[in-house]
Amino acid sequence: MGEWQQLLQSIFLGLIFSYLLAKLIAIVISFKEDNLSITRAHTTPTDINLPRPKPQPHDDPPRSADLTSAAIEAESVVAEHGSVRNESSEAGSDDDWEGVESTELDELFSAATAFVASAATDRQKVSNDAQLQLYGLYKIATEGPCSVPQPSALKMTARAKWQAWQKLGAMPPEDAMEKYIDIVTELYPTWAAGLTVKSRGGDGNAPGTDSNGPMGPVFSTFVYEEESENDSKMDAIHAFAREGEVDNLLKCIESGVSVDLKDSEGRTPLHWAVDRGHLNMAELLVSKNANVNAKDNDGQTALHYAVMCDREGVAEYLVKQNADTGAKDNDGSSPCDLCESNWPWLQRAKE
Amino acid sequence: MGDNNNSPPGSPKEADHDSDANQLVKDDSSLETIVRKFQDSMSIGKRHAFWETQPVGQFKDLGDVSLAEGPIEPPTPLSEVKQEPYNLPTQYEWTTCDLDSEDTCTEVYNLLKNNYVEDDENMFRFNYSKEFLRWALHPPGYFRSWHIGVRAKTNKKLVAFITGVPARIRVRNEIVKMAEINFLCVHKKLRSKRLAPVMIKEVTRRVHLENIWQAAYTAGVVLPTPITTCQYWHRSLNPKKLIDVGFSRLGARMTMSRTIKLYKLPDSPATPGFRKMELRDVPAVTRLLRNYLSQFVVAPDFDENDVEHWLLPEENVVDSYLVESPETHEVTDFCSFYTLPSSILGNQTYSILKAAYSYYNVSTKTPLLQLMNDALIVAKQKDFDVFNALDVMQNESFLKELKFGPGDGQLHYYLYNYRMRNALKPSELGLVLL
Repeated sequence: MGEWQQLLQSIFLGLIFSYLLAKLIAIVISFKEDNLSITRAHTTPTDINLPRPKPQPHDDPPRSADLTSAAIEAESVVAEHGSVRNESSEAGSDDDWEGVESTELDELFSAATAFVASAATDRQKVSNDAQLQLYGLYKIATEGPCSVPQPSALKMTARAKWQAWQKLGAMPPEDAMEKYIDIVTELYPTWAAGLTVKSRGGDGNAPGTDSNGPMGPVFSTFVYEEESENDSKMDAIHAFAREGEVDNLLKCIESGVSVDLKDSEGRTPLHWAVDRGHLNMAELLVSKNANVNAKDNDGQTALHYAVMCDREGVAEYLVKQNADTGAKDNDGSSPCDLCESNWPWLQRAKE
Repeated sequence: MGDNNNSPPGSPKEADHDSDANQLVKDDSSLETIVRKFQDSMSIGKRHAFWETQPVGQFKDLGDVSLAEGPIEPPTPLSEVKQEPYNLPTQYEWTTCDLDSEDTCTEVYNLLKNNYVEDDENMFRFNYSKEFLRWALHPPGYFRSWHIGVRAKTNKKLVAFITGVPARIRVRNEIVKMAEINFLCVHKKLRSKRLAPVMIKEVTRRVHLENIWQAAYTAGVVLPTPITTCQYWHRSLNPKKLIDVGFSRLGARMTMSRTIKLYKLPDSPATPGFRKMELRDVPAVTRLLRNYLSQFVVAPDFDENDVEHWLLPEENVVDSYLVESPETHEVTDFCSFYTLPSSILGNQTYSILKAAYSYYNVSTKTPLLQLMNDALIVAKQKDFDVFNALDVMQNESFLKELKFGPGDGQLHYYLYNYRMRNALKPSELGLVLL
């Protein structure tokens, strides 16, 4: 038993001694650290704040580029630290998402970290102290109290950061987030202005998050291509017919524009109305004595269009208005030939 | 392939900073791509705190010929791989998802259906089917432990997901065992909880535990450092629906009628001997495919088991067709596409967009253009709305001619812990990730 006690005692003393020694070294080093000019290689996010040795080639990027890269950067910042965050309050509610869902504070904090990351190119000088403070708070907010071993005395930056984290003890993550946001607001009073721009564009998704994923596939849609028929010309009445603007079209006709006016492709307003599926517009045009069987430059009638576009209601209406179901276009096809759907009334009309 | 001039043909070489950026994006003079190019160059100028600490190709090393191609870090002894999972925030827990269980598969399906990738304007969201997920995650030799979920402790809801599947990928002459990482998804309500990074770390750890040290993945954003940057192209099969749901737009001077006519396809394939692939074709298709893929710098190393899994047709998952010579009965050509529908968000008439994605295509006798036109025809017969393809492999040779239009999506390919000397052209890549 006595031996045990002695052993324990010497281990204990050893520990105290090495702790004190480490502390001493740490103090010396952190003192030095304060006076060092910080230009060494950066590997961790707080370093992002450090003034760059050289100004960035692009100092005034357009806003969109800025936001995009900020979002990406936030993801990476976030990625480094992992998300081992200890919530101080456990969710015990019946509400499915309470305590699980992101809070406003979460989102604001996330936005603030994204902002800090994106401020890397900012020339504004932030004191080393403030950077370390932000670092410590970030670690508390994301990982909780410091539990990693102290870095070796040779790694001075790492050491200073470790201390910044460690000295915050068991501060609750929420407090850390709030303090972090306060410091950012103090340093960059306007930072939140950028935030509103971003969240408006972000469709309610939390800014700086992985809505577009850090990895995975991409959903692509057609790039909007400018007019492939730029040389074609049309008049206002065709555009009104196309858009289904009944009142404007009526005004056109009242002002003396022909109801069968052709555009450069030989299309009448009725062709356009049918192409876009505006039944009411087609009815209006027919009531104004539009020619139901007018042909475009390809020899197609409005009924060809209705059949091609699979617009049954419009097609049936045109047939009732005595549209020619057998009219041949320049390829020799009639609306009946082109019809792929099974429309019994069209078959009947043919017979 | 060994050339060090990294800028794509035709792009003017700019002052040294920008050339790094330019080699990653395709040369195109439209405003859209110029803007994109600029954005890309901005994000390359930015720092990537996480990725700079990871064994991935770094921007600063681009074009540095003194660095050897190959693994960046050597494998560590398995005993030194962290044995316990990474810590999650206290209200969450890890779970391994068994896709063979109907309940789990439904949970994964629903998580992805409601929270996975959307287009820029939030009009569409991928809707991978359950059969597809099982197919994608159960290739030969898969590890169940790589199908990782996160649950909320309180209600046991599945709130996040990430997966890896094993693959043999050839990089030039080296065949490397890799994990293909995919399906990273965090519930919308949990965004900004910063779950994604720890999930990436956890899947990496579990991959290491199987003594695998490299990975392949894709992303829509630029990270250090893409091995290549591909562009999506789309071929309308059902133009009216695509226009109605906002997938494509009708120019003000263009008629629907003419657009429909433009995209009309014959009723049946033109190539004699064009038929669906069957089990008995596996050896022939494997030979064809291995031979074809050998020309690309990075491509999967498929054996017969892989071909049987990845390319044998499965209803609503993957379609494969081949050309069997009517005279010699030799299999000379092959084409395939997979089925990936998407939910259409907020449209009264339509709720699902049915898209086919070009997979692996090989032509030896039938011209590739004709082969792919036949692929479009069968896709149209099968009621797909659109046929999508990346400009990888030899795809560029048929895209414009078969009336594919450029998409707004760029896909960057990455390798983890494997350095490439320089970026590839999309046409040098022979790999399609789902």
